[in-house]
This record gives sequence, structure tokens and C-alpha cells, in this order.
Amino acid sequence: MVGLSVGEKHFIQGGIAQDLRSDGRKRLTYRPISVETGIIPQANGSARVKLGATDVIASVKAELGKPSPFQPDRGKVAIYVDCSPTAAPIFEGRGGEELSAELSAALQRSLLGGKSGTGAGIDLSSLSIVEGKICWDLYIDGLVVSSDGNLLDALGAAIKAALSNTGIPKVNVAASASSDEQPEVDISDEEYLQFDTSGVPVIVTLTKVGRHYIVDATSEEESQMSSALSVSINRLGRICGLTKRGGAGLDPSVILDMTSVAKHVSEQLLNNLESEISAAEACEEES
Amino acid sequence: MSSTNTSSDLSSEMEVDAFRRLFPLRFHERHLLESIRPDARPLGKARDTSLALGAVASAHGSALAKIGCTTMLAAIKMEVMTPTTESPDEGCIVIDFHMPPICSPIVRPGRPAEAAPVVSKQLSDTILSSGMIDLKELSLVSGKAAWMAYLDIYCLDADGALFDAALLSAVAAFSHLEIPVVSLNDDGRVVVVSEEDAGKLEKEAVNKEKRKLKLSTISFSLTCILHKNYILADPTAEEESIMETLMTVVLDSSFQLVSLYKPGGPVLACTSAIQDCVALTRQRVKELQKILNEAISDMEVD
Amino acid sequence: MFCSTILTPHALIHLHLLPSLQAPAPRKILRTGAVNSASGSAYAEFGNTKVIVSVFGPRESKKAMMYSDVGRLNCNVSYTTFATPVRGQGSDSKEFSSILHKALEGAIILDSFPKTTVDVFALVLESGGSDLPVVISCASLALADAGIMMYDLVASVSVLKIGLGLPFGLGYAFQSLEARQFWIPEVSSVVHGVSGEEESYQDGSLMITCMHLLVMRITQLTITGEWSTPKIHEAMELCLDACSKLGKIMRLCLKETASASQE
Repeated sequence: MVGLSVGEKHFIQGGIAQDLRSDGRKRLTYRPISVETGIIPQANGSARVKLGATDVIASVKAELGKPSPFQPDRGKVAIYVDCSPTAAPIFEGRGGEELSAELSAALQRSLLGGKSGTGAGIDLSSLSIVEGKICWDLYIDGLVVSSDGNLLDALGAAIKAALSNTGIPKVNVAASASSDEQPEVDISDEEYLQFDTSGVPVIVTLTKVGRHYIVDATSEEESQMSSALSVSINRLGRICGLTKRGGAGLDPSVILDMTSVAKHVSEQLLNNLESEISAAEACEEES
Repeated sequence: MSSTNTSSDLSSEMEVDAFRRLFPLRFHERHLLESIRPDARPLGKARDTSLALGAVASAHGSALAKIGCTTMLAAIKMEVMTPTTESPDEGCIVIDFHMPPICSPIVRPGRPAEAAPVVSKQLSDTILSSGMIDLKELSLVSGKAAWMAYLDIYCLDADGALFDAALLSAVAAFSHLEIPVVSLNDDGRVVVVSEEDAGKLEKEAVNKEKRKLKLSTISFSLTCILHKNYILADPTAEEESIMETLMTVVLDSSFQLVSLYKPGGPVLACTSAIQDCVALTRQRVKELQKILNEAISDMEVD
Repeated sequence: MFCSTILTPHALIHLHLLPSLQAPAPRKILRTGAVNSASGSAYAEFGNTKVIVSVFGPRESKKAMMYSDVGRLNCNVSYTTFATPVRGQGSDSKEFSSILHKALEGAIILDSFPKTTVDVFALVLESGGSDLPVVISCASLALADAGIMMYDLVASVSVLKIGLGLPFGLGYAFQSLEARQFWIPEVSSVVHGVSGEEESYQDGSLMITCMHLLVMRITQLTITGEWSTPKIHEAMELCLDACSKLGKIMRLCLKETASASQE
């Protein structure tokens, strides 16, 4: 972890209390976001998001698969996050495993909705091809290249950008008579369907330091946290998932207050992110 | 033997608990001299034993066995499989013994207990070789379908005599087992009929109603510790750790020897010791038969 | 059946939070001291969900661990092979282990056992829905039974949200009083008999773990599915209420065990 002296700790805490953080930001200001899309040609969609010194990559790979018997009319999505050993010394060896598992679970909770699949940010029914027979399986992989705090928000943004960059090939199903056989499919090389990402939420993490909470904490600030609340919020202002980190207990009213602050912040973040994504895509098309 | 002398000198002054910790062997031997054990049992007596059938609702047969503090939970799940070509009219039993980390301070997650595979092997040897279950009874359609019975035994609390408790729970789970109703579907495949459908769907029920498995003979076991000239029946974990020579005798319901297991140890058993162990096991088998029958009749009343 | 051997009658506690609408409330049992060889343990049965938690320690940390002036907490949740309707592998649940860790660490006074580790191991004997909240509540009882210093017991409760057209056609389950009554017993176990299946129909879930002695302190909160803010308020209120009821019952359970051992 970050080794800080008592003076440094005091400086960070004092700054947050006075609404002026050590990098000059206010408590509820994000670091500048930069988005790059289409960086991995082999993937169906990919994006790289930089949030200050935090640098993450997300890629989306679509494969044909068989839907689960419980939800025959839906596709499947798997989210997995890996922490590169280059990102921080503690990720070397098996050190990153626990964090990877935690981030993967938090992203799944935020993006995939309830077990029935409703309320998911990613519209799973749009991934169905032939009910009960074939569907698209989306493999979403996140990679943490460099870590300077707030990994979850950055990964959430990168996945949103990667999904809007994703083109899923059009599939023509040969009309087969028998109901038992697996229908034959023809994957088009030219026609792609753009993936609808309007429902994909953004994740806002509020980190509680002392009595105040801040967004987009750097790893120095994260080392001072007592607890953190990650809320994923969609366009409609609805909460799609919530994860609490840190051991310290929170008062219920504080949690409700934090969710409403997160909701407020999410609007700006969403607008900001969407304009960055469209700028990145325009840039990609030009080149 | 200076240490022994000091300890005997100390024993009059020390508190009992401290003496027990510092000189465990002497502590136990002093009890043995009086023909009694630290938990107030005579040497040849087993701990209180109880049995409850049907502890797990999600399994086809299950039982919870308790011998003293040692607790075992056994559950059987039945699945339909295709029998092997060598024995087309026989089913199959898979036995697994687990020691999860909750059962004992020496078991840690990710590092399985040493005793678990040993007990697992002993159990499958005893159950499969004693002819307790006729594997032909598990056949459904010769060459096409047969039952695969998965027997999983979990040790919930390990306090000695693990094999005895595991065997008791396994035997009880088999006597609680109800083989589900199956029928052939249109493709000729065997499907399990759920309870609601059983009334209306009388297509070709392979076995008409839930039935019990016939157990041709039931085996029970008793583990004894051999220490010097003493024989201690049904040891606790503490006794097992201090006095190392164990002997397990398995007898079937007509008191015939199924298996005898003495995995080495510093005490070399003479013939009379073995005979004494077998005699103790005979007594114990009678007790256990009574307990099992009571558990079965209790369940039928419910 | 099960309870008659593993549970002694005086410690049987049946919690009836509210009479349910459709079926008799599922059986609920909490008891401490289920495993003799552990420092502390507890058994919980909520409907079909059956859980045993053992606590070991404080004991020596693993050799490879660095020196630490506060105690360590090590959690592990595993399932039996017959816990689920389809025979499983009896594997460890990494996600549950990490949530259990986070839910408990805020309540335990780690300073009270420096350099050592407390191990909390849970085994789900049978999964009937709401496994995780039952594991967490049961683990906190087991910690108390082991005499580990805690700020307070933690109780955990989850609610599900079920949309229109699903099993009971209640719409958003929290909207009507009828639904409210329906959900309260559901809160601490899963719906009457249908249980585990019910969970696969859910549109969303909310799980709260909290301490409740002087002031409410939420140590762990997870939400899945799409929720509007008022719904979250309502669900949280419901959960907190159920948590404090469950907490009272857990306290009662400890008191009964203590008075039984004195006799």
C-alpha cells in the first residue's frame, strides 16, 4: 500500500475537510477522463479509459453459445477483471487475485441486474438468436494497466465505452424443420449490429474520509478511507447495483445521503463520458 | 525417568487441568489404573449414540449420526446413468468422505485433512465388499439405465472414532433412502418423475412407486485403542492423539467379521486382545442395531 | 427430526416475525455450540437453509504472514455436495467468503487479539435461499460463542424484488401492505417452500448487514437489479426493521445458552 507519513495523512484529511484536495480538485470533482476506442482489433469492441494515472482497458468478445435452460430467451455475459502485475507492486504473484475477484463481482452486480436478468444494464434479450438454441455469449474482460485509485469507476466507464464500440455480426438462421436439431447459422462478415448502450449504467464510488465523502479518490486518498460505497446509476437515475467496501459501519441515513449525492454526480459523469466516447469514436473513424 | 517422578510429585499440588495439559499420558494412565476414563466411562463402553433420519431435504436419503460429540451427516443423491458394458445390469455407488474446515481445528481450507481419504477408502471397502447392497437392485433397464448413488458423508464435528460414526451414518442413510419414480420418455430415455406428475403420468413407470432399498446385511463397527494391557472402546480425539494404536472391527448383523483394521502403532496386539475387541464389537453391534431400528420406527411415526 | 438430536429443546428458538399469508412460517432455529471441537460455533436453520459456522482461535497466524499489531480475520464459506438440488462439487464460494469477511470485520475488535488470526468457517448443509445472510448472522453468533470481542452482534437480512407476472403477481413487492406482510417472513428466509427457485426469478435483491445496539451501523450492503430511490428507502427500512428483530432473537439465543450453562 501507499506508505504515508503522519504529516501527509493529516494534509490529505485536512484538504478533504476544506473541500480542496491535494491535486486541487473539489470533493465531488472527477479527474479528467480520456477515452480511446477500438484499440484491440481482434475483439468485437474495446476501449481504454484513463482517469488521472489510473489506466484500464476493457474488451468485448462475442461468441455463439447455448442459452441456459432457465432463461432460454437471453444471452449470457461473463465479466472478468485482471490486475496486471505492472500496475502496482502488490499485484505481483497472486496478490492481485483477491482484488480481481472483488472487482469482477462488483461489476457483475452493477451491470447484470437481478438473477432473472431484468434491470440489467446490458440488454440480454437482444443477444438471443434462436430461443433456447443459440445466443451470443459476451465475454467482457477488464485489465488494470496502471492503478491510482478508483478502479471500479474506471472499469465501469471502460466497459461502457467498449460496449458502445462493439459491433455484433448479423446472423442469418437457416430455417430448419426439426425442433430437436441445432439450427444452422450463417455469420455475416459485413453487416454488424451496433450494440445499444443507452441503458448501461456508470459507477460512482464515494469514498468516505473522515466525515466527508469524495469521488474519484486517488490511491493515496483511498488509503485514508473508512469505507466506500460504489453505486451504479443509469440514464433514468435508477440505481442498478450497489457495493460497500471497507469495514467501518455506516449510519443508514448516511448511506441514503451518499446514494443521492452519487445520483447527482452520475449525471455529470454520464454526460461527460458519453461525449468523450462519441469523440473517441469519431476520432477512430477518421484514422 | 526423572520426568515421571517429578510429574507424580507435582500431581498432588497441581490443578487437574494443568496436569492434563502437561502430562497427558500420565493423566490418562492414572485414570486407567482405576478402570475409568476422564469422561467417566468404563473402558469398554461407547459414548451415547443418536441417529436421526431424513436430515437433508434435498437428498433422496440422509441421516445424521452422533457418537458423543463426533457428528456425521450422510446424504445420498440418486442419478440415472448408463451402466458399463462389463456389468450391464448393475448400478453403482460412489462414496466420498469429507472433512470440511468447520469440523476440527487441524483442518484448514484448501488443505484437506490427512484422515479424510483414509476413512473414505475404508468406507467404500466396507460398504461395497460386504455385499450390503445388491448392485443389481439399482438397475433400471438392463444395459440402458441404472442408478448411480452418490453417498457423501460430511464430518461436522471430529472428536474421535470417525470411521464408526461415518459408517453408522452411511448405513442409516441407506436405510432411509427412497428410490425415486422414473419413467421412459418418448426418446426412450429414463427421466425422473416429479412428485406432482406421478399421479397423472402413468406412461411406463419403470418402478411404479418410491421404493426402499433392500439391505441384505447391515454392518457396524467399533474402534478401540490398545494401550499396554488396556482396551478402550470408542476413543475421543484426545485419547486418539495420546495413545496411538487403534483397531477397528467391522461385524455384520450376524456377527460375522467383515473387516479388521489395525494400521500399525506401537502396541503389538496378541490374539486375546483381538478377541476382546471382537467381543466388544459384538456388544456394540447389538446396541447400534437397536438405535437404528428405533430411528427407523421414529421416522415412520412422523 | 434433525433438531431433535442436534438441538437441545431449551435452546430451540422459533422466530415468528409476522404470520405469513399463505403457509405456516418456515421453521427457524438458532443455536450456539453445535461443534464441540471449535472455540465457538453456531447452527442456523431458516426454512430449508441450514448452516453451521465454526470459529477457531485466536490462534497463531500462518508462518508466512507478516507481523501485524491488529488481529486477522480469515473467512471461508463452502457448500456440501448435496446442498443444491443438482449435485454440486461442494466447492468453496470465494465471493461469499469475501462478503462474509467484509460484513464481520467492522464489528470485531481486531485490536483485542494482536499477532493472531481468528478463523471463521461456514458450511452450508442445505441451500434453500438467502444463504449468505444466514451465514453472516450465524457467524456473528459463533464469534460471540467463541468469546471474540465485538462491538456488537451483526444481523443480516435480504429482500428480493419481483416484478409483474411472476409467481405471485404482486407487482413491485413493496408497494402494497399485502406485499409487505408477504415479504417480512421472506426477509429472513426464502418464500414458503418455494425457496431457492424463487431466487432465480428475482429482479433484484438487497442485502443489509448491520449492528444494532445503540445506533444502527450498516457494515455491509449490496444491491443488484434496477431500483428507484424510494424503493431503496422502503427496502432498507424493511431490512433494518427485520435486522433489529433478528438481532433481538440472536441476543435471546445467547442469553439462553448462557443461563443453561450456569444451571
